[in-house]
Amino acid sequence: MAEDKDLLCRIMDRLGLPAESSRRGFLLSALGVTGVTAAMAWGQKSEKAPFVILENAAGILVTDSTRCVGCRRCELACTEYIDGRAQPALARIKVARNYNFGPRGQREGFGRSAGEFGNLRILQDTCLQCPHPVPCSVACPHDAIVADGKIKARRADPKKCTGCRLCLHSCPWEMMVFDEQAKKADKCFLCDGKPECVEACPSMALRYVSWRDLTHETPIRQAVPAALRDPKAAGCIGCHELNLERGHRTAPGAQ
Amino acid sequence: MAAFGGWTGKTLRVNLSTGTVQVEDTIARYKDVLGGTGVGYKVLWDEVPARTRAFDKENKIILGTGPLTGTGAPSGGRTSITTIFPAVYPDELVATGHMGGGWGAELKYAGWDNIIIEGQAPKPVFLAIVDDKVEIRDASHLWGNGIYHATSSICQEMGADTQVAAIGQAGENQVRLSVVMTGFSHSAGGVGGVLGSKRLKAIAVKGTGSVRIAADKKEWKQLIQYTLSIMGANNQHVVPSTPQPWAEYYAPGSRWTARRGLYWGAASPAVETGECRPEDLHRMAYRTAKATFDLGPNAEKYTVRMGGCVSCPIRCHSHLDVPAVEEKYGFSRYAASTCVGWGGRAFFKSFPDGARGQASIEAAVVGKHLADDLGIWTHYSQLQRDFKYAYDNGLIKANLPGSEYRSIPWERYDNGDPGFLKEIYTRIAYKQGEFGSAMGEGSGRLAERWRFPAEYYKQQGTNWWKMGHPKHHSSEEGGQTGVLINMMYNRDCQCHSHSNFLGNGLPVKIQKELAAKLWGAGAVDPDGNVTPMNIDKARFAVWSVLRKELHDSLTLCNWMYPLAASPLRSRGYEGDNGIEAKLYSAVTGDRKDAAQLDQVAERIFNLHRVLTMRDMAAMDMRTRHDTAPDWVFDYPPDRKPFTPGHYKMDREDIDSARDLFYQLLGWDKKTGAPTRASLEKLGMKEVADRLERLGLLTA
Repeated sequence: MAEDKDLLCRIMDRLGLPAESSRRGFLLSALGVTGVTAAMAWGQKSEKAPFVILENAAGILVTDSTRCVGCRRCELACTEYIDGRAQPALARIKVARNYNFGPRGQREGFGRSAGEFGNLRILQDTCLQCPHPVPCSVACPHDAIVADGKIKARRADPKKCTGCRLCLHSCPWEMMVFDEQAKKADKCFLCDGKPECVEACPSMALRYVSWRDLTHETPIRQAVPAALRDPKAAGCIGCHELNLERGHRTAPGAQ
Repeated sequence: MAAFGGWTGKTLRVNLSTGTVQVEDTIARYKDVLGGTGVGYKVLWDEVPARTRAFDKENKIILGTGPLTGTGAPSGGRTSITTIFPAVYPDELVATGHMGGGWGAELKYAGWDNIIIEGQAPKPVFLAIVDDKVEIRDASHLWGNGIYHATSSICQEMGADTQVAAIGQAGENQVRLSVVMTGFSHSAGGVGGVLGSKRLKAIAVKGTGSVRIAADKKEWKQLIQYTLSIMGANNQHVVPSTPQPWAEYYAPGSRWTARRGLYWGAASPAVETGECRPEDLHRMAYRTAKATFDLGPNAEKYTVRMGGCVSCPIRCHSHLDVPAVEEKYGFSRYAASTCVGWGGRAFFKSFPDGARGQASIEAAVVGKHLADDLGIWTHYSQLQRDFKYAYDNGLIKANLPGSEYRSIPWERYDNGDPGFLKEIYTRIAYKQGEFGSAMGEGSGRLAERWRFPAEYYKQQGTNWWKMGHPKHHSSEEGGQTGVLINMMYNRDCQCHSHSNFLGNGLPVKIQKELAAKLWGAGAVDPDGNVTPMNIDKARFAVWSVLRKELHDSLTLCNWMYPLAASPLRSRGYEGDNGIEAKLYSAVTGDRKDAAQLDQVAERIFNLHRVLTMRDMAAMDMRTRHDTAPDWVFDYPPDRKPFTPGHYKMDREDIDSARDLFYQLLGWDKKTGAPTRASLEKLGMKEVADRLERLGLLTA
């Protein structure tokens, strides 16, 4: 454990994070033992070029809240047809959490927010299939979130996933899910281009269209801890500096 | 892995007197009655002493889901709440309130099939369930507040996505006509006061677990797609209400109301319901534009969207935004409900701008908020009918002290002012004065207390059926079939198996063809041309009640199932009588065909029967229980039964209807009581033994 702490300090120094003991202690307890192991992994890897997804996805789910009727057949199709069980908590599309009060929760009471208890509008949350840097993939210490197949959906590879749950905290839109039975993280992979949720929707409130960047127009649901936002940043600089030298203002892969 | 899919395998038993929580094995104890009402009847039969009264500490209340609840089986989101029912009159007997929404599904995801509540808490509490963690929490801060506040406050405590089922002030005050409500519009009628008597304000659930589907994923998806393909609109109406390019038939009474040019007008921006072809499963949610169906054409511009229960593609709850309600009356402009849930307007005899004008819509929304927040059950609109009857006949004036009568602003009522509803509902919820105390008692006790004249029980327009309850799709739906179904229950029968089929909009010729395969062609008469009783009608009636119990135990919605007809011309409009069995088999892995599952339903229905007999201490159900009101036989007075244009029944003919109904169930013809043979056939030997010990088994 002492060795773990030393390593963590080194990593934090490299990232320019304050390394005083209280902060260290906080981070250690927050990450837990698995977290420390994970931290070691990315610390070591960051010496070399980090694994990042550069290609954009081909498709994306778009939602129409004027049409959503809150039946949650999308959530059920997602888990029944992929996992063989009905489990909205595992659904890679999220309606239930916004159903009552909308994304902003209960604090404003009845009739004041979105949702069934508010202005009646049901908002569906879907994975944005983020462009580079893909937050969940960046945060994964095991490079388990990859661009998959022809459509390059961001997909969690269960063979690589260790179940550390760091990715759950890395997605600003809270779109990662965790399968407690398999002890693996999971996410929307667009059903390889034939999304079950779209097929299951009885009101055409979901559509599968060509990808575009929705990250800048979709309000986030959680603040992502700094340590998860750019754990690979140190390794990124080489690529980005090289790019600057070539006269490009953006990173490779960005559009 | 559990032996069966569908069930979580665990039933929760909570004793509020001792504060203890126990876990029971659902499969071992309750699989032979499935869930829902089945479990409810069984617990009451096994555990609650005979002739326990609704608000006694010894009464229990069972919130039951079933193996299909929480799965993607379409329209499987319902919960049955069974107890000794406060509004049954004069004896308090078993009955069930039913609710949809998302509560039942969430309970399953939390890992529970059913909750059995017993005892009485020393102080107000609510039940907080987060997966396998169950806590009895203090509710003193909620007591005295409405359902909206309780729901909101519990969501603050447990998370915004919590599913809450709560009672309002009416339930707390043990008003007999009170509800348990979940969500914004899903209420289980008549059972709120029982939770109130137990000082249980709410049951709140959050679940992260799963319901396992036994079938292979592909097989399950195929079955779901097939089921969806034969579903119609709300109430399984299978033809549109207006001529449509794709439709061979149409029927103005159909709830398939979508059409070009009809919008969800308050969606921003507006959404057209459009042409909803049966094969287009992506438009199922638009088929039933219910606001205009319930409230008239003016409701189109207020419709934000349609809504309803988890897993149901057919959305029957209208969601409205009526800004004037906030400005004029101080209630939220946003409201959701369906059918009689909009019944606030039904208290009034007229509105300044007509029956379907702006005032009537405002009354519907104001009434929804008052009833759903205070937690009042309008009793399939019998509360409204009784109010009008009492008012028109001077019975309110005659029974209220003068000062109380004068304290009610009757001129606002006479002027059709929706704001008047606050006077009615608030007095009922708090049992204020004679008016509030009497009106919330339910038809039976109200009529007795205010000495309604004998004509009340005999006149057609009062809708009085028996035992304190109104008719619910009776002689006007299937003649003798509707009468038989209405006779079997202790509350309004809440059975839609028959009315869904008869109201599906298909021409009688096709209905007869479909009926011929299920019960015999004689089950269906041309509308308003009732023919004498026959065995086909008895089969239709038995099928209707058994499927109702089946749906309330699986659970599936009895406002959609059975799918006896379909909207598909290519199938000759045939539905699938075995669809429940297919869904049950696929989800649980316990392969049963329709006949086998109907036998389970028969077991459940027989439990209801013996429980009723036990608590009435009566064997002679034929004359003491299975009755119909005089108006069924006497109206219209100038017509003879079995002539065209009305639904007048004949007393001797209904006697033969009873004979045939009992015969099909193997019940004793003379008394209508189950026999040892009929019970043992259903694996209910112990029930027969106990009935014998009670002196209630026929020789």
